[in-house]
Amino acid sequence: MKYAGMNAIACLIALCASAGPALARDIFPYPIETRVLPNGLKVVMVPFDSPGIVAYYSVVRAGSRNEVEPGLSGFAHFFEHMMFRGTERYSTDDYNKLFKELGSDANAFTTDDYTCYEAILGNEGLEKVIEAESDRFMNLKYSVSDFQQESRAVLGEYYKNYSRPNSKLYEKLRDTAFTSHTYKHTTMGFLKDIEDMPNQYDYSLKFFDRFYQPGNVVVLIVGDFDPDRVMELIEKYYGKWEAKTYDLLVPVEPEQTSKRTAHIDWENPTLPYLAIAFHTPAFSTKNTDSAGLDILSELIFGRNSPLYQKLVIEDQSAESIRCSIPDKRDPGLFTIISRVKSDDLVEEVKNEIYEAIAEAREKPVDPKKLKAIKSRIRYSFAMRLDTAGSIARSLAHYLNLTGDPNSLNEIYKRYGEVSPGDLQRLAERYLVKHNCTEVTLIGVKN
Amino acid sequence: MKTNHKSLILTLMLSVLIFPLSLPSSSLAGEIPVVLLPVENSPLVTYRIQFRVGSIDDPDGKKGLAMLTATLLTEGGTQKRSYDEIIEYLYPMAARIQSQVEKEVTTIIATTHRDNLNKVYSLLMEMLLEPGFREEDFERIRTNLINYLAKQLRGNDDENLAKEALNVFMYAGHPYGTPNQGLVSHLEGLTLKDVETHYKKYFTKGTVTVGIAGADTPKLAERALRDLGRLKDGQSKREPLPEPSPINGIEILAVEKECRSTAISIGYPINVTRTDPDFYALLIANSYLGEHRTFNGVLMIRMRQVRGLNYGDYSYIENFIQEGRSTFPLANIPRRQQFFSIWIRPVLHKNRHFSLRLAIWELEKFVKNGLSRDDFEATKKFLINYSKLWAQNQSRRLGYLLDSKFYGTDDFLKTLPEKLQDVTLEQVNAAIKRHLNCQNLRVAVVTKGAEEFLQDLISNKRSPIVYQAEGIPEDVLAEDKKIGVFELSINRDKSRVAAAAELFE
Repeated sequence: MKYAGMNAIACLIALCASAGPALARDIFPYPIETRVLPNGLKVVMVPFDSPGIVAYYSVVRAGSRNEVEPGLSGFAHFFEHMMFRGTERYSTDDYNKLFKELGSDANAFTTDDYTCYEAILGNEGLEKVIEAESDRFMNLKYSVSDFQQESRAVLGEYYKNYSRPNSKLYEKLRDTAFTSHTYKHTTMGFLKDIEDMPNQYDYSLKFFDRFYQPGNVVVLIVGDFDPDRVMELIEKYYGKWEAKTYDLLVPVEPEQTSKRTAHIDWENPTLPYLAIAFHTPAFSTKNTDSAGLDILSELIFGRNSPLYQKLVIEDQSAESIRCSIPDKRDPGLFTIISRVKSDDLVEEVKNEIYEAIAEAREKPVDPKKLKAIKSRIRYSFAMRLDTAGSIARSLAHYLNLTGDPNSLNEIYKRYGEVSPGDLQRLAERYLVKHNCTEVTLIGVKN
Repeated sequence: MKTNHKSLILTLMLSVLIFPLSLPSSSLAGEIPVVLLPVENSPLVTYRIQFRVGSIDDPDGKKGLAMLTATLLTEGGTQKRSYDEIIEYLYPMAARIQSQVEKEVTTIIATTHRDNLNKVYSLLMEMLLEPGFREEDFERIRTNLINYLAKQLRGNDDENLAKEALNVFMYAGHPYGTPNQGLVSHLEGLTLKDVETHYKKYFTKGTVTVGIAGADTPKLAERALRDLGRLKDGQSKREPLPEPSPINGIEILAVEKECRSTAISIGYPINVTRTDPDFYALLIANSYLGEHRTFNGVLMIRMRQVRGLNYGDYSYIENFIQEGRSTFPLANIPRRQQFFSIWIRPVLHKNRHFSLRLAIWELEKFVKNGLSRDDFEATKKFLINYSKLWAQNQSRRLGYLLDSKFYGTDDFLKTLPEKLQDVTLEQVNAAIKRHLNCQNLRVAVVTKGAEEFLQDLISNKRSPIVYQAEGIPEDVLAEDKKIGVFELSINRDKSRVAAAAELFE
């Protein structure tokens, strides 16, 4: 990697990592440059051949996990909305006008662990975006009235989502599976807390001060740009951002000791839903557990699994069955959700799921099957990397988890290392009754 | 683990020249039209095989047949393989073969890494040429379509329910007037024999267009044409569509449903498609009024940003479905007749009347006043830049090329910047006056207490906005007073209440 032209900038920034020759063995096919400003702001750059187009992402390593105070769930997401409410330099209207002028696709999303601000635009507008983004991250300012108005847009978002049973199901599942950790609430937050948001202006300022600081943010740029020029601009616009720290204490979830259940009566006609979840460890590339659990979910619930074939294709007792284990900074959930064809089949589907899990514990996987799963995981990843935005999304995910973009390469190496024995060990350790939560949702007007 | 790693390394070179090629006619090619998008260093290959058959071709009493047939092709077995064998076959390659059915066209979309091209291609041809049409696959897909209409749409998704209710209401008696998924009672009566007849009639050399993107496209096209030459002969000519029924005043379809907020969709057919010179002027006008998922539009600013009424408010001048999590439209949903629409995302019941009034209030200002010079210049500049983002990957670019072929236009995306550049403010404001109005609208609402809402609308009952915020600017409060009593000319005779359970039956 060349750093010609850095000159004065070079003494202001610390070179943390460059991809180097090891890349040839890595799944991520593009060079990654990571640099860190003295104030702690990390900058990750990936030149990619997307003529004239660049993705500019700001990854804030704060999500609903950071909402530790009771009654204040949903603030990370709410804050994502407030970040579009302007500064003294750029009012809301000015900010909107700027992004309109640039023809940018600008948006944001919040997860349990992070908040991500995305802008995809023509590279001629990059300096303007760097200027405006740094300004709102350093100088966000909004009135009480703006804050209260925006809180009602959040309430509207809640209602929009919760006319769908799976949103309600997931909310109940989390609330039941967790007792202490902030993963107990979804990113949207508890409804009662959202309803109270207009009264929490002061807390919003505190939230910004705690988490929107340079050491907790990664700026990620992917596409057609000159890295040295971009670093000059980032130093110019973000260099004065004052470093701060905040020690977040997220409550530790105690080990679950017995099975939990919950039920939702849905007031409209619906197919019944069944959710089953097991606690899992936090994301890590230090061992094969995270990678192994992903493979285990494919083995038991993937589209070519005997269970899927039986329930969805042959018996047709379920319309769908899906398993997900979102990578999390703290221990999360291995979640299976099935939409069952009728109310009287829920028990049968549930029993089939437990039987399939028991088989995964008892019987080693056929090596051919394991090879097919690993192949699918790699091809799925390779086929995703087709735009600057999709590459940025993939990297943002790992930057959130560890702060290190190379975690992406490491986890794919771990996928390669997972053995049949690992899968049995993981099923034995995590997919057990006392670690399980079950939630059902049935339409009362079916 | 054995990994074919080097071949997985992606070296997308999107800077290479991208343009559609006209493949020379040959004895093998026959009459099948081809659209090619060469991307020589792409690791991916995309096929979009489009058939000129859609839900408008469903016979009377058999609504849903086009969707059921196409889905059975890609989510059912072939003559050689059962569906579970197909899943097993595709699984390690993570390749996708999907069908997309809309009113006028059906598009079979396959995407694969080039490592697996031959394997995926051979399956694609099996699906298209040698479908299995098994009873168990038919039953599974039919049940899923019925459940989508009867459970998902009626009970689980207020926003899409309102959109589909608007479509049914707006196009009553017109071939566009049923959901692409069909109608519940019709689906229940369909047989596998219906599917086989439909396939034979419509999946022919006369209806197909081949789209391919990736490396070596001329060679891939030659092979595809040779294979698809085995399709039966058939006609591609379509009958002209009837005119949609006229709208007289504001006509309301109020859908009664147990829900916590009210979803609203507003619309009417317009006589403009991408073939019309006014399309480009309307594109700018619409972007100003309600560009999808941005904070640029007047509706978004006045409803969400200024008043916090809901999550979003947008408008459209053609059929629009958002593609996945992107903010961009799905390609290959073209229509010969289009419609204007406004999407008001769910609002609290107590603000539903005010919200509908406000949306029409803004529409009226827009239609009466048009755009100012500054708004016009800013919006035009935005669209010229923004449209460059509409097709960042080869699958979407290919989709746009096929749409250009459908409409008989030049490469839409390539020529869009210059066409937008040529549009004048006068043309924009004249196009608004020619094609858009604020008096004759159809409105679908999904709400609790639908009858009461309809009566409130008919009687023009005062409907002040309920804020949960302090410090609302005086000018906004003053405008709110006027909007709260803004008269809407509801056509009482053409308005009605329906239970969600009655729809799509």
